[in-house]
Amino acid sequence: MVIANEFDYRRPDTLGEAIQILSEASGSVRILAGGTDVVAWLRDDVIAPDLVVDIKDVPGLHDLTFEDGTLHIGSLVTFTELIESDVIAEHAPLLAEMAGTVASPGIRNRATMVGNICSAVPSCDAGPVLLAYNATVHLAGPSGERTVEMSDWFTGLRRTARTDDEVVTHLTIDPGRHGGVYVKLMRYAGEDLAQASVGIVVSADHDYRIAFGAVAPTPIRSSRIEELLRGKTLDEALIGEAVAMVSGEISPITDIRASAEYRTHMTEVMLKRGLVAATERLEGTGPAYGTRLV
Amino acid sequence: MDLKIKINGEDWTLDVAPADTLLDVLRERVGTKSPKIGCERGDCGSCTVLIDGRSVRSCLVLAVEADGHEITTVEGISYDGLSALQTLFLENNSFQCGFCTPGIVLSATELLEQNPNPTRHDVQEALAGNLCRCTGYEPIIDAVLAAGDGGSE
Amino acid sequence: MTPTDTFLFEAESGNKDLESVGTPAVRIDGRDKISGAAQFVDDIDFGPGLLHAAVVESPHAYARIVSIDTSEAEKADGVVRVATGKDFPYKFGMYMEDRYIFAQDYVRFVGEQVAGVVARSHREAVRAAKLVKVEYEVLTPLLDPKAAVEDGAELIHPDLDEYTHVPWFFPKANTNIAHWRKIRKGDTEKAFAEADYVLEDTYTVPRYAHCAIEPHVTVSKLDFADRLTVWTASQSPHTQRHLFAEALAPLGFTHKDVRVITPYVGGGFGGKAGVSMEIIGAALATLVKGRPVKLRFTREQEFYNTYQRQGVVAELKVGVKSDGEITAVEHKLYWDAGAYVEYGANVVNAAGLSATGPYRVPNITNDSLCIYTNLPPGGPYRGFGYSEFHFGLESHMDRIAEAIGMDPVEFRRKNAIIEGDELAYGAAMNPSGMLEAIDRTAAAIDWGVEEESDNPNTVIGKGISLFWKAPAMPPNSSSASFLKFNEDGSINITVSGMELGQGYLTVMAQIAGEVLSVPVDKIRVETPDTDRNPYEWQTVASHVTWSSGLAVEKAAIEARAKIFDVIHQVYGYEDDSLYLEDEKVKCKTDPSFAKSLSEFVIDGIQTEDGTWRGGPIVASGKFMPEFTNANSDPETGQGGHPNVHYTVGATGVILEIDKETGRIWVRKAALAVDAGRAINPDLVKGQITGGLVQGLATVLYEDMRFDDDGKLLNPNFTDYKIPTAFDIPDEIIPIIVEVPQPDGPFGARGVGEHTMIGAAPVIANAVYNALGVRIKSMPITQEKVAMAILEQSGN
Repeated sequence: MVIANEFDYRRPDTLGEAIQILSEASGSVRILAGGTDVVAWLRDDVIAPDLVVDIKDVPGLHDLTFEDGTLHIGSLVTFTELIESDVIAEHAPLLAEMAGTVASPGIRNRATMVGNICSAVPSCDAGPVLLAYNATVHLAGPSGERTVEMSDWFTGLRRTARTDDEVVTHLTIDPGRHGGVYVKLMRYAGEDLAQASVGIVVSADHDYRIAFGAVAPTPIRSSRIEELLRGKTLDEALIGEAVAMVSGEISPITDIRASAEYRTHMTEVMLKRGLVAATERLEGTGPAYGTRLV
Repeated sequence: MDLKIKINGEDWTLDVAPADTLLDVLRERVGTKSPKIGCERGDCGSCTVLIDGRSVRSCLVLAVEADGHEITTVEGISYDGLSALQTLFLENNSFQCGFCTPGIVLSATELLEQNPNPTRHDVQEALAGNLCRCTGYEPIIDAVLAAGDGGSE
Repeated sequence: MTPTDTFLFEAESGNKDLESVGTPAVRIDGRDKISGAAQFVDDIDFGPGLLHAAVVESPHAYARIVSIDTSEAEKADGVVRVATGKDFPYKFGMYMEDRYIFAQDYVRFVGEQVAGVVARSHREAVRAAKLVKVEYEVLTPLLDPKAAVEDGAELIHPDLDEYTHVPWFFPKANTNIAHWRKIRKGDTEKAFAEADYVLEDTYTVPRYAHCAIEPHVTVSKLDFADRLTVWTASQSPHTQRHLFAEALAPLGFTHKDVRVITPYVGGGFGGKAGVSMEIIGAALATLVKGRPVKLRFTREQEFYNTYQRQGVVAELKVGVKSDGEITAVEHKLYWDAGAYVEYGANVVNAAGLSATGPYRVPNITNDSLCIYTNLPPGGPYRGFGYSEFHFGLESHMDRIAEAIGMDPVEFRRKNAIIEGDELAYGAAMNPSGMLEAIDRTAAAIDWGVEEESDNPNTVIGKGISLFWKAPAMPPNSSSASFLKFNEDGSINITVSGMELGQGYLTVMAQIAGEVLSVPVDKIRVETPDTDRNPYEWQTVASHVTWSSGLAVEKAAIEARAKIFDVIHQVYGYEDDSLYLEDEKVKCKTDPSFAKSLSEFVIDGIQTEDGTWRGGPIVASGKFMPEFTNANSDPETGQGGHPNVHYTVGATGVILEIDKETGRIWVRKAALAVDAGRAINPDLVKGQITGGLVQGLATVLYEDMRFDDDGKLLNPNFTDYKIPTAFDIPDEIIPIIVEVPQPDGPFGARGVGEHTMIGAAPVIANAVYNALGVRIKSMPITQEKVAMAILEQSGN
């Protein structure tokens, strides 16, 4: 529906100005990047902020670079930019695979990956993949800069470690040589939210990092399954053991989108197929990134 | 708030409220009616416009966010007669009620700009955010594929 | 049927090759639609005086309204007027007057309109609507149709026996049964006793949403001369005018004071037939004289407060002989018709008349019950009840064939209804290409050839289903047309059928162009304005190609007669020696004669004495099916002739299923429909492709989900999943069968709705074929398939 509530709008030119506006604001504030969540929520009356701070003019937040083994992804980098980036294709194609499952091009042209994890809905596509990548979130606030590890980022349903006066400036990832996969359960082949999802990164020394989406209040890492697999080469029996642990690791709900039983079953199937694909990709074989496994 | 914006090649300066979306302003202030109001939450794609050549949901863009940018709608690509793609839409019956058509034409235009020879999968991907309830998509996909086969020359 | 109706087709097509009819003419609305020029209601400018309305809705499925306090809303910025049920204590309804413009003492579904706010801006209207305070006494809703027919159930409409309704409805006083359509033919009990095999089971179908991409929108204005003009996104301009005039008659309106204008419509699928939210806008406009008022439904409102496709519980019993002959069908349909059934009751009626499906059945017991529930009003949806009962029926036919060891295609071929067979209500079946449709569909999917998947995770299945459907119309529903020539020999036609996307305007141009030898691109056919365009009942029932097409054909024939008359007056040629070719009048007896239409259709022809003959050629045509009759016996359904004819066809699919995930890919789908004559084959193919995909969506992806309090949980495209460009078959094979309809224009009959009817059961049958799992409730989602496989394997 029409956006019924009025609000003020500011578009700072510098990071310092942005932080100042946030820290001095008296009422409720929303940071606006791509806007695909924020404007939808404004329309649905889910949020009614007094002030919206548009950070798109803040310099530096669009950066997307790879230097000294570290990938730097600015908070304004959109999903489309991830898909089209040569840097991503070379060093972290899993991010492009994930980005390709987000909504549709008209959304991906605006929506940012950082915005996705700031919205922090359980089904956010970036969550499981960034967890599996052990990404680091970089924030700037009135008392300076700080970092938060992805494993500490999600603090609850739609809640994160960011405080109201902070701006996420970028993410960093040290991808190393790896194979990865993002498997997403959708109700059909077209645009859909994840009904359950699995992100896996396998390092060259067979360190498996596994995360699940939409099967708990936040995207979660599965340390027990990771522990089981650490350093080992996969075979059918080992995969079977890992799959058998899934139901103990997740706490899906039944809602109109899917039942808890189907989410659990599909998380098992996705883990099974995902482990195989990620390992094959590590070896340079397996299905091309972007291929749907379920 | 002041909004300076280029719409289909024409410069506009408008006074808008922060809560006005780009879709509201295009339709009600500028009289550009081809972007349609379908779902108002980014699901259907009938409000699709191009900002600096890339497709967006104008229902999910605040008008003030578009300040300094260039907007293209179907009106903007129809000034000099129909584009090759539009002609193929006509020949393939790639529309029925026509309500989603402006958005679909723009999404397909963006695709062909980025990828002049798309596969069927590429076309489906590019159009997956534009809902059409009438055609079953098949004739739309056919037209876009035909445009990619050199039909756009 | 009258001789003129019967023989128009033969008279027209018998003596020459067709030039326009039967060709894939380019759509005459095409350029408007691909250039952005096409104007929909919401695109019309009304200037700075335009007001905006917002609706206050019930949060309860069933409640008594204790009080409404509008005082805060009235004081809010920008508010011009607030209205409640007290302002409009008037009933309305299409076939049964059971609705009010705003709720009176009770609300009967979540989302029912309780009050309306008119303000200077949309934003102000929405804000003020939140300030209207309504106090409710909340009552326990009835959400299940079978519970609603139990003895002692709360009466949702206690005054049912006082409601005005059409004569072919049979409400049961002091129950929640608003209409009970019965068919009793032969002796079902005896036939079941003598059958070699009887199968009895229950199938369930949930509610569905139309999801036209254009929401309902209306702008209404009462001017200072007391004339009410309503611009609507509607399938039914004249019916809307009629219902507005009737409902608002207490305010002094007559039909001539009410004008409905309908430009292009952004999809209908039945959802924009009749009157739903439009009456709210029309009523509010009467309170703010001189100001146009716009009411545009949000996508959420579109889901919960326009018509919905009704859910149904279908109890089906079919008996056969060991050789496969069907001897008896007993079909009980319990329809969840919702809080108001003013339109939906006729869906129930139509289904009841035809619930045997396209089969020759000597013994029939059909009971189709229209049951009030506290869910949103049911109403027309492409397929009009047939999609719903075909799901169970065509699933059942496969199961019977398997049980008696017969091939499902052979079983259907053996029992398929053909020309002359007796219908459930006693009349004879019209000519049909059913057997050809079955054979061509089966061939298209290589029926009988088993296919194996290369992928170890997937299996392949095939399925087939048949469909039939008749237009459901009052027996006297009619169509009319005006036709006029312009100076250059071009033509303007006015009709009041709606261009919903199906290509109606183009088809009308092709029909007139055929008769008058004028190319389609020289013919303009305009969308309706009830002041100027002649009458059309509604654009529903897949009847306008047939009915409006006949009206246009007759207008063209009248124009041709006037043209020949001018030639006769001036040149003396006998009328029956004249014919039209290439926009010229020619003469069989004088090959040297040729007179271009553009030379005289406005200005006439000068005679030797210097005077003129002729003048502007204008004509009109009308059509009413004078052979129909809805007066059947209430207890048996025998004696009437309620349906004009049936259109038939078959659907076949090849699908692939992932055994672990349940995901279904439709690899190939074939659909054959008997169009009688495809006036424009490309447009028929468009209906096949679009209707098939819409039908597949109802079985694979969509359904409306309500909570235990009757609230719709998925009123948006995020969770009501209509197909995207990815969610279509890999290949669709459209098959057009042409067994002419004797009374149709050039033999044509309608195909628009039919193409989605066979989709649901064909998937159910193919899923069974692939997996051995029979799913008896729609939809058949990947989740449902996966869980059924798990259950089958004992996990």
